[in-house]
Order: sequence, then C-alpha cells, then structure tokens
Amino acid sequence: MYRSQTLALKYFAAAITVFGVMTITGLLSSYYYISLDFLFGVIPFNIMKILHINTLVIWLLMGFMGSIYWFLPGELGRETAGIRAAEILFYVFCAAVAVVAMVFIFVQYGASNEASLWLINQGRKYVEAPRWAALGIVVIMVVFAWNVIGTVIAARRTTGIITVLMIDLIPLILLYLIAFPAIRNMSADLFWWWWLVHLWVEATWEVLIGCIMALALMQLLGTPRRIVEAWLYIEVALVLGTGILGLGHHYFWIGTPSYWLTIGGFFSALEPLPLLGMVVHAVYDAGAQHMKTTNRPALYWMMAEAFGNFIGAGVWGFMITLPQVNLYAHGTQWTVSHGHFAFWGAYACGIISVLYLVLQRIRNLAIVEGQLWKWSFAALNLGLVGMTGALLVAGFVQAFVERAIGGSTLNAFISGQENAWFVDGMVARFLLALVFTAGYVVLVWDVLTLGRRASAVAAVAPAQ
Amino acid sequence: MSALPTLETGLLLGLYALLAGVWGVLWALARFRKAASFGRSAAAAYGLHTLVAVVIILWTPLGLGWKCLIVGSSLAFLAIPPITWRLLQHTHDNEKVGA
Repeated sequence: MYRSQTLALKYFAAAITVFGVMTITGLLSSYYYISLDFLFGVIPFNIMKILHINTLVIWLLMGFMGSIYWFLPGELGRETAGIRAAEILFYVFCAAVAVVAMVFIFVQYGASNEASLWLINQGRKYVEAPRWAALGIVVIMVVFAWNVIGTVIAARRTTGIITVLMIDLIPLILLYLIAFPAIRNMSADLFWWWWLVHLWVEATWEVLIGCIMALALMQLLGTPRRIVEAWLYIEVALVLGTGILGLGHHYFWIGTPSYWLTIGGFFSALEPLPLLGMVVHAVYDAGAQHMKTTNRPALYWMMAEAFGNFIGAGVWGFMITLPQVNLYAHGTQWTVSHGHFAFWGAYACGIISVLYLVLQRIRNLAIVEGQLWKWSFAALNLGLVGMTGALLVAGFVQAFVERAIGGSTLNAFISGQENAWFVDGMVARFLLALVFTAGYVVLVWDVLTLGRRASAVAAVAPAQ
Repeated sequence: MSALPTLETGLLLGLYALLAGVWGVLWALARFRKAASFGRSAAAAYGLHTLVAVVIILWTPLGLGWKCLIVGSSLAFLAIPPITWRLLQHTHDNEKVGA
C-alpha cells in the first residue's frame, strides 16, 4: 500500500469522527427548538449551530481529501509527491480542528477587536474558524493541491479526471481567501461571502465529487475510463454552466442589485436538468451490471448519491429558487430543509460509498455483504428524509405566517415560532434526528467490524 | 405574491421537478426491462408532469418569463432521458469496438 493510501485511511477515520460530532451537535441544536432554555448559560444555540455547520464542512473536506489520497497513486502509478508534508499536515489539521472546537465551546465570545478575529471567531457563517485556523486551512489546501499537481509532474503523465481535478483545486483555494477580509459594508461583505459559500458548494465541490465518483465508478463497476471521462466532462460543463450564475439565488435581503435575483433564479432553475441526466446515467450503469457487484454497500450509496442529489438539490431547490417564492422562503427552515437534503445527497452519500470501496480493499474482502450496512443505510436515509420533511413543514409556516402574512416583523417571527405546525415540525425533526444518529452508530459499528464478522464475508480473497 | 400562492407555487414547482425525475427513472427502467408497464408508467409520469406545468402556467402568479421557462424546462425534461441514453449507448458501443 502506498503511503498516500495509508494517509487516506487516517483522513477517513478523522472524517467519520467529525461526522459523528456533526451528528451530535445537530441533534443537540434541534433540541434547542423544543426546550428553549436547553443548556442555558452553558452553550448558546448559535455556538452549537456553528459547531454543527463547521463540522459538516470539515468532515466532507476530509472525506474528499481522503478519497483523492486513496485514488491518486493508483491513477498515476506512483507515490504522491510531497507525501511527508501531507502526513504532517494531517495531524496539524486534526489538532487545529480540536483547538477551534474547544475555543468555540469554552471561550465562545471575545471583544469586538482584531484579536477576537485572529483567536476566537471570524464571525462569518460557515467559515467562523478564527484567522489562524483559516490560514492553516489555506496551507493544508495548498499542500493538497501540490500533492496532486506535483504527482502529475513527477509521473510525467496525467489522466482526464486528474486534469479536471487540478483545474478545480485552483478556484477552490482562491475562493477560500474570501474568508479573510473583514469588510465593514455589510452588503459588500455578504456579496463576496456568497461567492465563497455558493461557488464552493455548487461549483468546485460539485466538480471534486464528480472526479471522485468517476474514479470510484471505474473501481466499483469496472466502467471503462473513456466513458467515465467523457461523462465527467459533459456533466461538469452542465453543472458549472447552471451552477455558477445560480449564485444570484442567494442575493435576497442584502442590498444587491435586483437583476441578480432574475439571473440567479433563471440559472438555478436549470440545475435539475443535468441532475436528471445523472439519474438516468445511474440507472443505466446499475442496469448494465444488473445491480451485481462485489460491493453492494458502495453501489447502494452511490445510487443514493445520484438520487439524493437530484431530489435534494434539484427538487427541493426548484421549490424555492424562483424569486417570487425565494423572497419569502429565503432563510427559513424551508431552505434549511433543502440544505440538509442537498448536502447529504450530493456529497455525504458519495464519501460513504468510497469508504466502503476502501474497506473492501484494505480488509481483502472478495464480497462485501452483511446486514449492518442495510440498517445503517435505511436509518440514515430515513432519518435524513424525515428530517427534511419536518423542516419543510416548519419552513412553510415561517414563509406563510412570518413572512408573507406578518411581513417579517418581530411579532410575526414569534407568531411563526409559536405556530403549532412549526412546533410539531421541530419535535418531528428531533425524533428523526435520533433515527439518523442511530444510523450513524450502526454505520460506525459496521465500518469497524466489516470483514471481521463471519456474516460479512462471503469469501475472502488471498492477501495481495 | 400573497401568502397562500407562495406555498402553492413552491409546492407545485417541487412536484413539477419530482415528476420529471420519476419520468426519467421510469423511462430508463422501461428501456432495460423492455416491459410495457414501465413504459406506460413513464408516460403517465410525464403526463402528470405536464399537467402540473399547465396548472403552474394557468394558476400561479409567476411572471410570463418564468412561465416560459417552465414550458422550456418541460420540453428539456422530455428530451433528456432519450438523449442521455443514446449518448451512453454510443460511448459504450465505441468502447466495445475499441476493445
């Protein structure tokens, strides 16, 4: 095994651990809506939410990096360049995440000065990490990009997938630099901040997961490289074509020119079109193999990725993307519902799929089977779909009572929060978050014991 | 847009996109299974999708431009599964010939 692949295993272990922290902080965050004085004076809701959202970003990033470190040596036939630096930075990354989490939990707030920005919190949603940690993320991502580009240079060859990946890593790093400037004009600040958030999630990350899924497809189903690469180019072009200017669908209530609303609505309304193509592609691939594979968990999670992406990003996004609806739905639990479903479908399912592929290799399993993965697959997906349904109902109430009828006043906000449908929606979300958490526990148990339980191994291949 | 049409329009738009997905999946399954029932189900799903599109156009307060987008998207949704399928077959056939 290459050192890069050993590093990948560490990244997957860290990703699954941070996934657990995200799940627990999400569960606790959802309980604040039921018991308003929950952890009063200990941890405020906004800190718990910061932990939930930032761990989401970190575990997905770690999952992406683990996937690339796993596939890269096999793709280019050599050890990853600069692997020593990558190994050291893995521990720096983990330590920094732990320190930042401790600062959020125990320090929470600072004075309104530069020192707080550097040491406690940069204060911008999703990228709250203090400036020292944000600088660390830049260093880690630059080294990661060097690992990929340097390996290509050292190998004196590349592949279509790796070329797309290299091109993608440049905007991925440059966009993160938007996390740094403390712009005093709030409209200008939010205008640029959305570039970071939207163009990471709906552009560069989409390309990244497209590359990872292409590499995984070749390994899982033996799909020929030419086919995978041809489709990667088509799908990346379509997703970027609709995703980049879809940026405008975030520009509500922040003082940006109104033409952005039309541009954003138009381009994001086109987003379900390529996603439908991906669903048809998934059915074709699965049907061509007659759903026969040596790794059913990986195949099922990959199918969940295609369908989850279409439903979460496509269907849930289409509900709210036209400006007439978005005007009222923006920032309500309706968008939270869309966010949960889309992140899960587009990214989380894909990483879990790669994880099962990796487990098959490192445990020398000829066939990956068993019952536990089915339970975790069912509980995680049922919990997630249930949560998004409950959040959708709560979001309808907010858009209807608080926004459209009440006109977004403080009284209207309170009316929305006290509405029986909203309250019941929040209770249902918490209960279904428990189901999701149970699914996570089973997933971890399966990952830890796969291949070590008799029922999980139909046959064991000779060690290679 | 007033309060109730906001919810109704949002729900109709979601249903519109969902039925497009159902159409695509059933169409692809019909090609694989070569079963008439899947073909009929796919046609029914697209019929329902068209019905929802008509309701959106006639009943919701969306502007004319957005209604045109709905019509255009419906036509694109109709074409995407067969075009995707043909491209997939084409690339797979080329690969077999190349091998």
